[in-house]
Amino acid sequence: MRIRGKNWSTPALVYLAAALIMAYASFRLPQLLPGDFVTAMYAGSDVTLNAEQAAELRAFYQDTQGFPGYLRNLATLDWGYSHAFMAPVSQLFLQALPWTLLLMGTAHVLSTLLGFVLGVEAAWRRGSLMEKAGVGIMTVLEGVPEICSGVLLLLVFALSLGWFPAAGAQMAYADHTFGQWIADVLHHLALPLATLFLAYLPGNFLLARAGMVMVLERFFVVAARAKGLPPLRIRYAHAARNALLPMVTRFGLRFAFMITGALVVETIFSYPGLGTLLFNAIALRDLPLVQGIVLFSSIMVLVINLGMEYAYNLLDPRVGHAS
Amino acid sequence: MPIICWIHGWAMHLDAGRHIGKDSWLVTGISILLFLGFLAAAGPFLVPHDPYDISFSPLRPPSADHWLGTNDGGMDILSELVFSLRNTVIFGVTAGTAGLVLGVVTGLFSAWAGGWTDQVVMRLADIVLAIPSVMVLILVAAFFQPSPVVLALVLAGLAWPTTARGVRAQALALKNSLHIKAAQRMGGSGRYIIARHLMPELFPLYLINFAAKTRMAVFMEASLAFLGLFDPGEKSLGLMISYALQYYYLDIWSNWLMPPIMLLSLLIMGTTFVTISLEKMFDPRLRKTV
Repeated sequence: MRIRGKNWSTPALVYLAAALIMAYASFRLPQLLPGDFVTAMYAGSDVTLNAEQAAELRAFYQDTQGFPGYLRNLATLDWGYSHAFMAPVSQLFLQALPWTLLLMGTAHVLSTLLGFVLGVEAAWRRGSLMEKAGVGIMTVLEGVPEICSGVLLLLVFALSLGWFPAAGAQMAYADHTFGQWIADVLHHLALPLATLFLAYLPGNFLLARAGMVMVLERFFVVAARAKGLPPLRIRYAHAARNALLPMVTRFGLRFAFMITGALVVETIFSYPGLGTLLFNAIALRDLPLVQGIVLFSSIMVLVINLGMEYAYNLLDPRVGHAS
Repeated sequence: MPIICWIHGWAMHLDAGRHIGKDSWLVTGISILLFLGFLAAAGPFLVPHDPYDISFSPLRPPSADHWLGTNDGGMDILSELVFSLRNTVIFGVTAGTAGLVLGVVTGLFSAWAGGWTDQVVMRLADIVLAIPSVMVLILVAAFFQPSPVVLALVLAGLAWPTTARGVRAQALALKNSLHIKAAQRMGGSGRYIIARHLMPELFPLYLINFAAKTRMAVFMEASLAFLGLFDPGEKSLGLMISYALQYYYLDIWSNWLMPPIMLLSLLIMGTTFVTISLEKMFDPRLRKTV
């Protein structure tokens, strides 16, 4: 497969293989459990199944059609039925997905933009007191996991000061106009968003700064300075675009962390996204739901990472030619 | 003997003592980790109570007998905290060590073997790297409810590719250097060269990767425990936070919720400081400029 003259087959194949491995693990793992695990699992759960439901669940986990049949079911949104929530898994997943995308997407975009600008400015003012303080603060922040910052924000701003709601994504049963509804959603989004923003920002800042420090030593920057170009133009038009690359390459590695953090943050603030759904599914031992969320979040991660790989090749054509 | 080789390898790269003393982040990070390591190792012998003893009256504020009070189950929070820290550290170190060993072995093997073997191992590394490890851990934990050690090993089985890539790249560069060629011409076997030349010379990479992997594993352990994927009877910082959070509206958050949060932050901060300063110290591109 060649797009724009570059060889695409390898990354696409790698991600396809990873997706198939995840799907196979999800298909095969339940069959490796000994004995009647449906009864054993749901015995410890708050959900009681009647005989018919238990039989249905056992049939769901019985391998009657093999792996290709399982894949066909996945493709047709037939991911099983959640007995804890009395709804098809795909429906629950698609209901929760927009909230997670809203939360993670906003946090990612904001932290990338701000982290990049701050990192570039810090590198430009290298050695100044401001830069040193900035690097110090960001390094400390990088050491605070989402669990801790999230709980602290919850205690201070939701419990102590009462400025923000402690749970949910919107007021239930409220009769809002569209404008009020947007304001209400943003009000609920503020604390989980701030937690994720604080967690993603330091990594972006430190990467942008490190990349920029190296770029600033290159001759073309010296040449731009010698020409007497305005500093703002040197910084952004000449240097900073080259500092973008390390941020893009490290994205794939950081993404797995970001997902884990988002799961925890949603749970802390009871935000109705995939993280909270997964938390409830685990607590209720709702196996089809756990499987559905895990599998389809993984596939989304893979698709996004493949997209980043494509973006990277567009940003830096040298990579495509080298491989 | 291997230890002497490693120290020798370390000294070959730079004058270690001088650099370590100068970097205040590294000193801070190592101090934090030493303190927490001591607490995790010796703490269980120092605390006054058995963390599983439920005979005290529940939800008590701090007192002379219970420095951090008691939790909802009537357990001594201080004792619970120390045991939790210990379990979290053990998880991190297990996953970090196993992941490092796997990565170093596959990376060296791949670089030394070359050809088809190298291609196959590296494509496998690409695939494993693409799989989001937290999802696999959730799946395994939800279905099998294994002990934390098993989960740590599963995590290590998913975390080796970054190390393998780094080790392979450096080993390939070394493989073509003159002193390795000389050792080969003098009749050194592959095993001898890997053990006595390649492995010691890559020592800084091991440190960086071990610190980074341990950091990731601690973060994962706390998150997974918080999400309820560990045995609820297990002691872990993530589980403690998750239980204490259910009572956050009571006044006891200062003695129940804050201590595990502080310890977890310190633990991750310590490993972060060490990772960042080691990366800075050994990155050939940054070394000149920093």
